[in-house]
Amino acid sequence: MTEQTLPTDTAVTSRLPLLAAHRLLMSAALVILIGYFVVYAVYAVNLMQFPFDYDQGEGFEMVDTILFSQGQSPYQDTNTYPFYSSNYPPLFHVIAAPFVWLFGEAYWYGRLLGFLGTLVCASAIGFAVYRESRHKWIAILSGLAFLASNTIYHIGPLFRQHMTMVMFETLAVVVLAHASEIEDTAKRRRTLATGLAFVLAAGYTKQLAIATAAAVFVFLFIRQPRRAVVWAVLFALVGGGIFLAINVATNGQWWLQTIAANVNDFHLDQTVGLFRLWFSLHGFLLVPAALYALYELYFSRLSIYSVWFATAVVNSVLSGKWGAGDSYFATAIAALCILSGLFAARTLNRSWTFPRNYLSRLLIDPFRRFAPALATAGLIVIPLLYLGYGRAVLHMPTEGAVFGTVANWLGLEPNANNGFYDSAGRIAGGYADIGHLTTQADTDAGWRIVERVRAVEGPVLSEEAAFNLLAGKEVITNPTQLLNLWLNGMFDSTELVGMIEDQAFGLVIMRAQFYPTDVLQAIARNYDHDETIHMNGFDYLLLVPK
Amino acid sequence: MLSNHFTLTKRHLGLLMLVGGLVAFAAIIGIDILDVGREGGIGPAQQMALGGCLLIALVGVTLIPLGSQPA
Repeated sequence: MTEQTLPTDTAVTSRLPLLAAHRLLMSAALVILIGYFVVYAVYAVNLMQFPFDYDQGEGFEMVDTILFSQGQSPYQDTNTYPFYSSNYPPLFHVIAAPFVWLFGEAYWYGRLLGFLGTLVCASAIGFAVYRESRHKWIAILSGLAFLASNTIYHIGPLFRQHMTMVMFETLAVVVLAHASEIEDTAKRRRTLATGLAFVLAAGYTKQLAIATAAAVFVFLFIRQPRRAVVWAVLFALVGGGIFLAINVATNGQWWLQTIAANVNDFHLDQTVGLFRLWFSLHGFLLVPAALYALYELYFSRLSIYSVWFATAVVNSVLSGKWGAGDSYFATAIAALCILSGLFAARTLNRSWTFPRNYLSRLLIDPFRRFAPALATAGLIVIPLLYLGYGRAVLHMPTEGAVFGTVANWLGLEPNANNGFYDSAGRIAGGYADIGHLTTQADTDAGWRIVERVRAVEGPVLSEEAAFNLLAGKEVITNPTQLLNLWLNGMFDSTELVGMIEDQAFGLVIMRAQFYPTDVLQAIARNYDHDETIHMNGFDYLLLVPK
Repeated sequence: MLSNHFTLTKRHLGLLMLVGGLVAFAAIIGIDILDVGREGGIGPAQQMALGGCLLIALVGVTLIPLGSQPA
């Protein structure tokens, strides 16, 4: 089969103005994406200074970390006091546990780990693009594009495990991308072992990484089936062995809490809405990424990045599950940043090649005479794609000396909490209602709630863990996990409801009211609303015994 | 296939996708045939999955003519 490179000859002198325009547009794209990185860094530093839950669930990841730091398991029987269990694998919390020994109980280091994870991820994306294309500017833009995504921005610096999973996934595919072609057996085995260790790390950070595991083995199977099967067996033995060991050590709570309880209702409307939102935000890079994957499928060899992209997109369908959201697109965003970078670099490097086949005869040959013009147009179109992306993902605070001035200049009105503009709006269910900066008023409100917790005798039932932790009281329940279990018929609420009926809790703090229905009904019967404290854009209801 | 140098071709990949897509399609339909007591018939999520299976099979068909080019 003959390969043909598209003819791209044009006189260099006639392209000088175009090259100047290209450099100008590339610089503009770079400035905009660096601007988003500044916004991201400001947001991350702001959150690290905020001592309370910013995103619901952070506090319970903190509790998991504390338990690991004390050598205890967070996979516990939720039917008995304190009705607490984690629903996530342990690795992120184990990584954070030494910080508890060094700095005590605090949110900043979990948020720092999440933030650093996204930086590692962006660097790996840039490295992957550079390694394949040797185009440093596109490599930098690809990494920055990842950090500029609205989704990555708002979940990156949280005390949540999701971005650490994405970091391990990205490192895995970058390590494994050329493993099959390594001639030296020992080096190849080391590379495969390292890459698959990252896959395992991703899976033991969050269950969603199973799609990346599938992508990796599909890719390895395409390249060399026998080797893929052998390594898959080894991987299953190690991964399965760890799984069984944890399950035995926790008397089966590991299976119940992390697997069985996570089979939640699926809302198709939420998935459709989030896919539409994902496309509207990332379309400028998503289309080139998809085109590049199709190019590899029909005209070149499939890379691990294309296989990963396809499985990650399919896996994003799970964003419609109860409790899921736009974070489920983070892996697909990492993959699309790599593929769109490869598309851009190949265009600018003028290195598109098309083997002779029925598709090239049908789709490529009629346009070969336009190749020089198309290649020249690429000088303008490629930076415009990144500029278009920069416009589509527009998000920034609209208040303060610097951001306020920029927002005024751009004509932005806040459309989210605390003077924040987010081009995603709030049109899709499951899109996290975060991204804004916290204020001193939020911090003051949080301490007011802590004072209320300190003031009562006995335990406090709080929907967020921070108030109890900071007041020096035991954290009781993980509401969303109880709801997960209850919806699956796996939670016996008798003991918890009994404590509520006995008014054993001196104070109840509610935010989203994500407890099981019978628990909520018991609270309504036995507690009265006493005060509402507004913090971080949400109303915290404080209830006292009737 | 057991050789250290064997790699899948576009034709192999196409055939795998065609067969895999059709088998998965039949399996999803089979859920409703075997589990006739289930309410609601083929729901929207199932319809999406069926569409995905057909798409995989269709892409597989288009890869088969590409022959021995490595996948």
